[in-house]
Amino acid sequence: MSKLYADAGTTWSKVLELYKDEKDLKTSSLLKIDNLSAYSVSENKKEYSDRQGNTFKGRSFLLPTKIFSSADVNLDAATGHMVKQKINPDGKYQNEIISLAFGAQKKVKDLENATIIDIGSRDLKWVKFENNKYRDLDWNGNCGSATGATVEMLCKFYNVNPQKLTAQQEKISVTCGVFAMEKIMDNIASDISAEIAVARYIHGIAYNTWVFAKKPEKVYLSGGFCLNSCFIESLGFYCEVTPLGRFILIEGLY
Amino acid sequence: MSASDKKLIGIWGYPEPSVMEEIRKKYPQNRFIDLDINYNSPESGILPDAYCRIMKNIIDNAAAFQQNLDVIIASVGREKCDSGWFAANILRDMGFKVIETRFEEYGDKFRETPISKSSLPLKDKINRIMDNLIEKQDLKLSEVPAEFGFWGVPPNDPDFLDIFPDNTHVYGWTRCVEAGRPADIELEMYVDEGIPTVFFAQTFCAKMQLAKYLAQKYNGIYIDVDDTASNSVKAKIEAFIKLG
Repeated sequence: MSKLYADAGTTWSKVLELYKDEKDLKTSSLLKIDNLSAYSVSENKKEYSDRQGNTFKGRSFLLPTKIFSSADVNLDAATGHMVKQKINPDGKYQNEIISLAFGAQKKVKDLENATIIDIGSRDLKWVKFENNKYRDLDWNGNCGSATGATVEMLCKFYNVNPQKLTAQQEKISVTCGVFAMEKIMDNIASDISAEIAVARYIHGIAYNTWVFAKKPEKVYLSGGFCLNSCFIESLGFYCEVTPLGRFILIEGLY
Repeated sequence: MSASDKKLIGIWGYPEPSVMEEIRKKYPQNRFIDLDINYNSPESGILPDAYCRIMKNIIDNAAAFQQNLDVIIASVGREKCDSGWFAANILRDMGFKVIETRFEEYGDKFRETPISKSSLPLKDKINRIMDNLIEKQDLKLSEVPAEFGFWGVPPNDPDFLDIFPDNTHVYGWTRCVEAGRPADIELEMYVDEGIPTVFFAQTFCAKMQLAKYLAQKYNGIYIDVDDTASNSVKAKIEAFIKLG
C-alpha cells in the first residue's frame, strides 16, 4: 500500500505519494482525481527517504486546492489549511511551522546558521537554526495580503508573465497591502510599465520578508516564490538565497 | 455568565486588599465579580473597536451587569494601567459608584508563589491565582521543575493555554499577583533564564513593549492576541514548545 502526504495551502496543494512497488499505486485514492497526470510535478521512481533512513519510490503532484479539497482522498499525514478531515484515523496532522522545521532538518545539510523561510499564498513563516538546533521562529498569518496570491492576482490582472519580470532596485513598500496597491496604480498611471510596477512590488515583498525574518545573512527559501526569479533576485539584494522548492513542508511529515 | 439576581461588587486588576475587605464588610450579601474576564457580555460600543480586549471586557461587563453592581473597586495605579484609570472615570460618569484604589507599595512583604511553580495545568494555575484575589484558598500543591514558561497577564482567551505542558511556570504580572506585588516591575520582568518562555500580551496593551523586549532578551517567543488566539498563534506556541 502507498502512503499519501499533503501540504494543502490556500491556493495550491502539494501531494506526495510514497510506495515500495508500483503495484501499490493501483489502489491509490489519488486515482479518484480526474486527469491526475496533468498535475504531476516529478519524475516517477525518484527515491525518497524518511527520517529513519528508509527509502521509497515516490511521485508528487501540485493541484489547485479547490480540486484537491473536493477529492475523496485519504492521507497518512498532512499539514496546511483545510486538510484535517482527509487524514486517516491513525494518521497525523502537523502544523506548518513544525513541518517546515522538520523538512529543513531533513533537506538542508548545513544548519549551522540557517534561516528557512516559507512564503505561501497568504502567509509568511520562518524558522532559524543555530549549530543545527532550533533557535527562533515566527509566522505572519494575520496580515499576509502581500504574498503569493496577491502577486498571482496582479500578474493576471495586468497580463504580466511572472517568469519574465526583471528585479528592480526600487521597491514599493508592502507594509500595508492596501497602500501598496495604490502605489502600483500610481506607478502605472505615471507611465511606468506594469512589469516594472509589479517587479517593484515583488521587491517590496522580498524586503518585507527579509526584515520579518530578522535580517538574516543567508536564507533557504521554500514555497511558490522559489519559481519566481524576480523575487529571488530581489531577496538577493539583502542576503544569500538558496531555493529549496515547494515540497519542504511535506518532507517534514515523514 | 448570566446576569444573576445576586448583587455584585465589581473589581478589576488588583485592588488594594484593605479596601476590598472594607467593601466586603459593607456589602456582606454581595458577590465579587472580576470584570476583566470575558463573560460574552454584549458589546456596549463605548470603547473603540481597536482597543485592549480586557478593557473592553471591563466596560462591556459593567454595562451588562449595571443593575446588579452596587459598587466597583477600580484598580487605577501601576498595578493596572492608565486605561484602568480612564475606565473608572468613564463608568463614574455613566452613573456607577466607583472606588479607585492604587496598590503600588508593598515594603518587604512577599508571598511565596507555589501555584506558579506547581504541576497544575497552566489554565488552572492562572485561574487559581486570580481566584485567590477574591477568596483565599489553601491549596496543597507540589512544585515541579520548570520546562517551559508563560509570561504575561491572564489572557482574554484562556483556551490557548491548553497547549502548554503542566510543567510550565508562570511569570510576569500573574506571578506578581500571586506574590501580592502587582506593580513590582522587577518581579514582573523576572524569568528563569534558560527556560523557553512564551511572552504574551493582549494586543493594544502597553505590556506589549515589555513582552517583546523580554522575548528578545531571553530568547523566548513573543505573541500578542486580541480576542481569541488565531491558528497561527497556536501553531507558533506549539512549534516553540516542540522544537525548543
